[in-house]
Amino acid sequence: MRTIALEPLHGWAIAQRIRAISKDQLRVGQSALYPALHKLEQQGWIEAEWRVSEKNRRAKYYKLTAAGRKALKVETAEWERLSSAISLVVKPA
Amino acid sequence: MRWINKFRLRVRSVVRRNRVERELDEELQFHLHGLIDHYVASGLSPTEARQHALREMGPIEPRKEECRDARGTAVIDSARQDVGYALRTLRKSPGFSAVAILSLAIGIGANTTIFTFVNAVLLTPLRYPGSDRLVVIYEHKLNSAEPLAVHPVNFVEWRVRARSFEALALLQSPPLNVMGRDGAEQVSRVLTTPEVFQVFGIPPSLGRSFSNDDTRPGNNNVVILGYGFWQRWFAGDPSVLGRQLVTPDGSLTIVGVAPRAFHIGLTEPDVLTPMAIDPANPAATGSRAFECYGRLRAGVSLAAADAEVEGIATALRQQYQIDDGLGASVSDLHESLVRDARPGLRLLMAVVAIVLAIACVNLAGLLMARGVARRGEFAVRVALGAGRGRLIRQLVIESLTLSFFGAAIGVVAAYWSTQALVARSAGSLTGATGEPIHLDVRCLLFTLVVSAATAVAFGLLPASQASRVDPQAVLREQTRGATAHRRHYRVRGILVVAEVALAVVLLVGAGMLLRSLTNLTRVKLGFQPSGTLTMGLFLGTESPEMRSAVVEQILDRVERTPGVKAAGTIQFLPLRGLTCGTGFWPEAYAAGADPSRALPTECALISRGYFAAMMIPILQGRGFDRGDRMSTPRVVVVNHAFAKRYFPDGRVLGQRILVQGSNQALAEIVGVVGDVHHTGLTSDPAPTVFLLHAQTPGYITNLVVRTTTNPLGHASAIIRAIHEVAPTQAVSGVGLVERDLERVLARPRLQAILVTAFAVIALALSLIGVYGLIAYVVALRTHEVGIRLALGATRETVFFDLFGTGARLVFAGVGAGVVIAALLRRVVSTFVFGITTGDPITYLAAALAFSVVAIMAISLPARRASRVEPIIALRTE
Repeated sequence: MRTIALEPLHGWAIAQRIRAISKDQLRVGQSALYPALHKLEQQGWIEAEWRVSEKNRRAKYYKLTAAGRKALKVETAEWERLSSAISLVVKPA
Repeated sequence: MRWINKFRLRVRSVVRRNRVERELDEELQFHLHGLIDHYVASGLSPTEARQHALREMGPIEPRKEECRDARGTAVIDSARQDVGYALRTLRKSPGFSAVAILSLAIGIGANTTIFTFVNAVLLTPLRYPGSDRLVVIYEHKLNSAEPLAVHPVNFVEWRVRARSFEALALLQSPPLNVMGRDGAEQVSRVLTTPEVFQVFGIPPSLGRSFSNDDTRPGNNNVVILGYGFWQRWFAGDPSVLGRQLVTPDGSLTIVGVAPRAFHIGLTEPDVLTPMAIDPANPAATGSRAFECYGRLRAGVSLAAADAEVEGIATALRQQYQIDDGLGASVSDLHESLVRDARPGLRLLMAVVAIVLAIACVNLAGLLMARGVARRGEFAVRVALGAGRGRLIRQLVIESLTLSFFGAAIGVVAAYWSTQALVARSAGSLTGATGEPIHLDVRCLLFTLVVSAATAVAFGLLPASQASRVDPQAVLREQTRGATAHRRHYRVRGILVVAEVALAVVLLVGAGMLLRSLTNLTRVKLGFQPSGTLTMGLFLGTESPEMRSAVVEQILDRVERTPGVKAAGTIQFLPLRGLTCGTGFWPEAYAAGADPSRALPTECALISRGYFAAMMIPILQGRGFDRGDRMSTPRVVVVNHAFAKRYFPDGRVLGQRILVQGSNQALAEIVGVVGDVHHTGLTSDPAPTVFLLHAQTPGYITNLVVRTTTNPLGHASAIIRAIHEVAPTQAVSGVGLVERDLERVLARPRLQAILVTAFAVIALALSLIGVYGLIAYVVALRTHEVGIRLALGATRETVFFDLFGTGARLVFAGVGAGVVIAALLRRVVSTFVFGITTGDPITYLAAALAFSVVAIMAISLPARRASRVEPIIALRTE
C-alpha cells in the first residue's frame, strides 16, 4: 500500500517498485500480489481504474482511498510495534 | 459508506461476472507483458523472454481462482455453476425429473393447501382490537366440559363480582320482524346488554352505543343498525339517526350504526337492540338461553379469569337453586369458535405431512439409484480435485432445484385446490371464525421452508452416499461394484419399507374414516329427511291465543295447497344443534313441583301434523290432532326412549306428568312415537317429551311441509298461502331437512374424502418406490439371470427369486405399517363412529389392498426379467 501512497500504479509497476525499494531483497511474485490487491480493493482500502500505461497498453491502476490511508497509518504503526518487538527478541542483548 | 462500497463491489463481482473476469484476465496479461519486456530489456530474444516470463508466472488459472476467492464470491459463483449444472442434468433425464417434480408438487401442494386453512382458521387472530383478550364465559355441568348457555341471573352476578373483565356482555339472537316496503320482513338481530361494543373493542361508526338506560324494561325501544343492513335498507344515509324502524309491535328509534363487518361469531347481525334486564330481577329476562362474551383486563391471564369465574360459580351454587350441579368457565373466543374445526385440520395436516414424507423417501431412493449410475461422473470429478463437501453441495443443489420446481407447481396447485375446497367444504373445514381463506405471504413462506427442508431431507442421504466414492476403484472397475451395490440395495430396501409402512398407515386411517362415514349415513334417523321443506316463522309477541291461532290458520291453509301431503311445526328443527332441556314430574310427586325431584328430559314444542310431515312413526296411542286445543285437557306425546326409561313396565299411555316450563300443567301422555336423532347422528336419542304448540304457544317455530315432489318447487306457493291468511307474517330461511342432514355429514364426508385421496396418492407414490427398486435390482441382475437361464434354471425359479426380493420388502412394510397404525390409533379416535379404532376389518382391508397392488408392481419387472433370452442378456455386457 505504501508503494501506491504517492501515485496510482499498476500491478506490474507495484511489483517492480517493491523490488527496487527493498533493494532486490523482496520479490513479490504475481501469485501473492494480485490476490492481495483484489482483497484490498474488496475491503475498500484501494480503488482501481483503467488507464493507458506508459507503453500504450491498457492497465489497471490502483490508488489508495481515504479509508486506505487511515488503515495504512494504523497498520504501519502496528507493524513497527511488532517488528521492533521482534528485533528486541531476536537481537543479541 | 465503506460497507456500501464493499457491497457494490461484491454485487459487481457477481452480477457483472464476465466483465470482472475479463478485467482479471487482462490485468494478468499486462503483468505477463511487463515480465516479457523486462527480460527483453535484459538481453533475451522475444521468444526466450516469453518462455522465461511464462515460467515465472506459473499456471494462470489457480491465480485467477485465488483472486476470485479474495473477492469472496467463490461460493456464490460455484452455487451458480451448480444450479446451471443441475438444470442441465435434470434436462438430460426428463423421465426422472418429471416423476420427481410431480411427486414433490403433489406433496408440497397438499401441504400448502392444508396449511392455508390452518393459517386462516387456527393461526390468524380474530379481527377485533386486542382480540387475544376476547373470551366466552359459559356454564357447564360439573362433570362435563360441554358448554351450556348462560342464565341471566348468573350473568348479573358475574358482572358484579368478577374483577378479571373490562366488560361483560350478555347476548341472544332472536330474529326481529321489521316492516319493509313489501310487508313484514324477518331480519337477524342481536339482543344485547350495552357492553357489547366495549367487549369487542369497536365503537359504533355512527351515533351512540347503548346506555344502561336503554336496558330498563319498558324503555328499550331503540335500535342500532348493522353496517350491511344500513347500506341495504338506507343506502348508507347518515341522516338515519333519530328515524324510526317500524316493527309489528311498535317502532324503534335508530340511535347508531354498528362498525363495518361487526361480526359476532360467524354472522353480522342486521340490527342490535338493547336487552331489557333488571339487576334486581334478572330472571324476568329469561332462563338459561344466553351467550356471554367478555374482554379480559390487560394483564389478566385466561387461567386467572377462569379460576375467578369458577370460584364465583361455586359460591352461586350455594345461593341459587338453578345453579345446582353447574359450574362456569372462561374460554378464549377464537379457541371456542374453532373448537370443531381444529381436530379435522390437525388430522389433515398430519396426513399431508406423511404424504410429503413418502414423496421424500421415494425421491431419496430414486436419487440413490441415480447416484450409483453417476458414480463414474463423481469419480472423475473427485480425481480432478473436487472435495467431498463440494460434491455434496452440488447434489443438494440438484435436490433444491428439483424441490423448488416442485414447490412452484405445488403453489399453483394449492391456489386452485384451496379455492375448490373453500367452495366445496361450505365452512366445514373453517369453523366459525368467518375468516376468508386465501394463500398469503405466510403460506408462501411456509412453502419455501417446507420445500427447502424437503430437499435436504431427500437429498442429503443420497448425496453423502454418492460422494463417498473412491475414484480409483470406481474408474478401474467401471460399473460392477458388487459391494457398493449391496450396501446401496440395503439402504434403499429400508427406504422402501419405510414408505410402504407410511402409505399403509394412511390407508388404514382412510379406511376408518370411510367406514365411519358409511356408518353415519346408515344411522336410522327416525324420520324421513327427503321431500321435506322447512321455513322459519317468527310469531312475534302477540298474545298466546293469537300465536296459537295464527299457526292453526297457516296449517289449515298450507295443507290445502296442491302438492302438500302433510304440514306441521316444531320449535327447533332436528340436526340444527338446538335443543331444549327441561325436567318433569310424574303425577305422584308433581304437587310441590320440587326442582330437586324433577327428572331430566328433552322437550320439543310441535304442532299437529309434525309427525306426519317428518314421517315419524307413532308406536302407541295417537299423535296430536285438531281436537287438542287450549280449552281441552292438556296432552303430551313422548318418544320411545322416554317410555322405556321412565315407564319400563310399558304402561305409559294415560299416565299424567307435569313438564317444567311456562304455563305448566299436568298433561296426559296420549301417544308414544319412534326415537329421532335430534342433536346429531353420533349421540343416542334422548328421552323427549313433545308439547303441543296449541296449548303452550312459543314465539318462534318452523313450518315443516312434506310435498309429493320437488319440495323447493312448492316453496313460493306455500309462502303465498301463508300470506293469504297472515299477511304480516314474516317467513325466513326456506330450507330442506335433507340439507340439514348434508350439513351434518359435510365435515366427516370431506375429511374422509380428503384423507382417502391423500392415501391413494401415498399408495401411488410408494408403488413408484417399490417398482423403481425392483426394476433397478432386475436391471443389475439381468446378466446373472442370463447365466442362470443358460445353465438350465427354469423361468419360474428366476421369477420367484426376483419376486421374492420385492415381496419381502412389501410385506415387511405392510407389517410395519399395520403396527404403526395400531400404535397411532388414538389419533383417529375422535373421528370414528360405529367401529372401534382397532377395527380388524379396516386393518386387514388396508393391508390386503396394498399387498395386491404392490405385488402387481413387483411382478411386472420380475416377469420381464425372467423372460429374457439368455443370449441377449449375456451380450448386453
